[in-house]
Amino acid sequence: MPAYSVIAVDPQKCTGCRICELACSVHNYGEVNPVRARIFVVRDETGGLISTIPVVCRQCEDALCERLCPARALERDTTTGAVVVVEERCLGCRTCVVVCPFGAPAVDPQVGVAQKCDLCGGEPTCVRVCPNQALVLVPAEEESIRRRRSEIERYVAALREEPAPSAGPPVATARPHGTAGAQGKD
Amino acid sequence: MAFLRGGRILLVDLTTRQVSTRPTADYADAYLGGRAVDARLVYDLVGVDAEPLGPDNVIVFGTGPLTGTPFPGSSRLDIMARSPVTGLLGNANVGGDWAAELKFAGYDHVVLTGRASSPVHLCIHNDVVELRDSAALRGMTTSQTPAAIRAELDNPEVKVLCIGPAGENQVTYATVHCSVGNAAARTGMGAVLGSKNVKALAVRGTRGVPIAAPEPFLEACIAAHEHLRAKDDYPEAHTEGVTRGEYAFVLSGSEAGGDGHAGVDFDPSGLTDFAAFWRRYGYKRTGCMGCPVHCMENLSVPGLGGAVMSCELYPQLSWEVRNDDMLLWYEMTRACQELGIDSTSIAIALQWLMELHAAGLLDPDLTDGTPMAWGDPDAIRGMLSRTVDREGFGDALAQGMRAAADYLDARIPAERRGQRSTYELALQVNNNPMYGISPRLMSMALAYSVGRRSDLIQELDIPQINIVAAPAYPRTTSEDREQMIEHETARVVALTGEPGAADPDVVDGKAEIVHDMGLATGISDIAGSCKWHTKWFLDLEPEHYADALTAGLGREVTLPELQEASLRMRNVERAFECRHGRRRANDTIPRKEFGKPISRGTAAGKYGVTETQLEQLKDEYYALRGWDRATGVPTRETLVASGLGDIAADLARLGILPESSVTGDAGAH
Repeated sequence: MPAYSVIAVDPQKCTGCRICELACSVHNYGEVNPVRARIFVVRDETGGLISTIPVVCRQCEDALCERLCPARALERDTTTGAVVVVEERCLGCRTCVVVCPFGAPAVDPQVGVAQKCDLCGGEPTCVRVCPNQALVLVPAEEESIRRRRSEIERYVAALREEPAPSAGPPVATARPHGTAGAQGKD
Repeated sequence: MAFLRGGRILLVDLTTRQVSTRPTADYADAYLGGRAVDARLVYDLVGVDAEPLGPDNVIVFGTGPLTGTPFPGSSRLDIMARSPVTGLLGNANVGGDWAAELKFAGYDHVVLTGRASSPVHLCIHNDVVELRDSAALRGMTTSQTPAAIRAELDNPEVKVLCIGPAGENQVTYATVHCSVGNAAARTGMGAVLGSKNVKALAVRGTRGVPIAAPEPFLEACIAAHEHLRAKDDYPEAHTEGVTRGEYAFVLSGSEAGGDGHAGVDFDPSGLTDFAAFWRRYGYKRTGCMGCPVHCMENLSVPGLGGAVMSCELYPQLSWEVRNDDMLLWYEMTRACQELGIDSTSIAIALQWLMELHAAGLLDPDLTDGTPMAWGDPDAIRGMLSRTVDREGFGDALAQGMRAAADYLDARIPAERRGQRSTYELALQVNNNPMYGISPRLMSMALAYSVGRRSDLIQELDIPQINIVAAPAYPRTTSEDREQMIEHETARVVALTGEPGAADPDVVDGKAEIVHDMGLATGISDIAGSCKWHTKWFLDLEPEHYADALTAGLGREVTLPELQEASLRMRNVERAFECRHGRRRANDTIPRKEFGKPISRGTAAGKYGVTETQLEQLKDEYYALRGWDRATGVPTRETLVASGLGDIAADLARLGILPESSVTGDAGAH
C-alpha cells in the first residue's frame, strides 16, 4: 500500500474559529460559503462551555461512500490517497451522505453533485490556515502514534501542573468540571 | 457582482411589518462598509427629534467587506443608533458568528425602524424574512434565548443576536449578545432593541459571498495571518489573552487608579493575577469566527458554571468596586452577561454609589435598605438585580447616572451635599460610565473627550498605557520592561516626530497619537474586522487591509482611500452628534479628575492632566481632524473635502454651521 497522508484532527486544539471552513470554500469555489466547505466545525455552547469539533473526510481505507456509490462516482486518487468525486458521473443521489459515519460528504446546493475533501491535491488549505495545529497532515500510518504521543504529553503536563507543552493549543491544564451547576442562576 | 458583499441592505419597518431591501452599493460606493455605512444610515434616518427609546430611533446592524472572510478577525458586527445613555451617537461592536452568517444570507446591513406592537424576533433565512412572536422568550437570558430559537426553528445552525432581561426592561446599559461571551456592550444598544420590542435577530445564510480574485485574496488573508503569528506579542495573546497585561494595568494604577476606583486603602490581597485565574479555571481558549488569536478565556468554575471572560472585564466588578473576592467577581460578571447588561457601566455606577456611601451621603434607605458599602456582596448582587428588574432605586439607576443623580439630589439636602450635585462624583463622559482606564493620563483624557461614543477605547493610546504599566508587569525581567518602554517610545516618536511624545507629562504629540489610533481602528471597523489586529495591539499594517480588499473587491483599494474613508466616517458621526447638540464643551472628563495624580499602584502620585492641558490637546486634535476650534463642529471645508457637502448644507440649515463662511483651519484636509 502506498504511503498516503491524512488530515489528523485534534478537537482539543480546535478553538472553533472556522478559518478552515472559510478558506476551504474560497479555495474550492472562489467564494466564502461555509455550507460549501468540505470541512465543518461542529459547535456546542451548552452551559457556557464551548466545545468544537472539526468534521472532515477520514479518507477511510474501506470507504463506504466509494463502495456503495451506485454511479461509481467516487474513487481513490492513487497519488494522494484521497477518495475523490468524479463529478460527471455523480447523480447527486446522496448515498454517500447517508452511508458516511461522519457526515463528511455533502451534495453541493449549487451544482447538485457530491462534494467532499480531496486533500486539495495533497496540500490541504485547511491545514495551512489552522492557527492551532488542530488540523495537521500526517502519514496515515503515523496518525495513531502521534495521537498517543500528544495525549501522553497532556497527561504528563497535567501531572506536573504545567501548561500543555505544545505551542498551539490553548488548552489549560485544568480539566472541565462537571457541568451540573453550569446553568448557574439561569 | 457585489464582490465581498451580501449585496443588500435589509430594511424592516417594525410598525407596519413591511420588509424591503436596497442595494448595499447605494451606500458602500461612498462609504466602503461597516461602521461607516452604519453612520451614514443613522445620519440619514434618525431625525433630530427621535427619542433614543422611542419608535423614531433607528438601529442599524452593519458588516464590512471583509466580514465573514478568512481575513484575520473578520467577524465583526457594528451596531449603531441614537444612544439612550448619552443622547448622542450610540455604537457598539461585537464579534462572534452572527455578522458572517448575515452576509452569507445575502445582506450587509439590517435597519430596524419603528416599533413592534408586541415582542418579536426577526428571523432571516436567505430571502425569507419574518417577524415571529416572542412571547415565549420573555425573560430569557442571553444563553437561553439562542437555544430556544434554534429549537423553535429546528435548526441548530441558526446564529442568534439577542437581548436579555435588561434589554427587555430598557435598562440604558443593556447589551446585545452574540453567542456566549460576545457583547455589543456600550451605549445601550440592547435598550434600543428592547424599546422596539425586538428580543432577537436570528439568521441562517447559505448563499455565500463572491470574491473577485479568490486565490490572490486567500493569499492576502494568509499573509496577514502569518504577519500576526510572527509578532512578539502573538504567542502570549494566543495562550493567555491579555490577562497579564490587564493585571499590569491595574497594578500600575493606569487602570482603576482614581480616588473612587480601587482606592488607596483597599487591600487587594484576595485578588489574584488574572492569568492565574485563567490557569486555575480555564476550560479552553476561545475567540470569534475567523480569528487566530483567541483572546477570550472560556472558564469553568465549580458551582458557578461556564462563561467567557476577557480583557477589561477582569478589573470591573473586582477592583473598581473594591471587591476582593474573584469568585464573586466571576459570579457577578457572568450574571451581567446572562442578564444582558454592560458590566463596565454597572461597575462604575456601583462604584459611584459606594463612593457616595463612603462620603456619608447615601443613607441605606435611599438604596432600598442596602448600605452601598465598598465591596459588599449584598450591595453588588442586590443593586445589579434591582437595576435589571427596575425595582426601587434600581429603577433610577437603570435610567443612567444623570437620572440617578437627579433622584438622589432631590432626596439629599443640598447643604449635606455641600451645594454640589452627586453627579459631580460620577465617572462619566456625557453620562456614559467610563472605562477603568484612568483619565489622569493626558492622552486618555483626550481620547475620552473626543471618542465617538463618549469613551476612549477606539482611540486608546496603547503605547502610553504600556509605558506606564511596564514597571508593574508580572513575570517580566527588568530588561524586558526596558525593552517594552523603548519599543513603545520609538513607535510614538516615529509617528509624531516629538522626542517627548511618550512622556506622560508632555503635551506635544499626544493629540497626533490619539488621532492616528482613531484612524487605524476606524479602518478595521469599516472593513468589518477586529481593531485588536491594527496597531491598537497586534499591528496588522493598513496595507494588509488594502491588499485583501483589492483582491476581494476586484478594484484597487489604496491606503489613502482607506484613510479618507476613516476620516469621512468620523465626520459623519461627529456631524450626527453635533446635530444632537454636541459641542466642544461636551468633549471633556469629569472636573474632579483634573489636576490629580494616579492614586495608587506603581504610578501612584505621578502624572495627572490639567484642564488647560486638555483644552490645548483638543485644539490640536480638532486641527488634525478639521473641526472648528471654537465649536468642535466639522468645518464646511472639512465636510466638503470628505465628500459630505450635503451634510454641510444640512448643518447650515439647522444653524449649526454658518450659511457660508470659512471657520477654523482645514486641518488634515
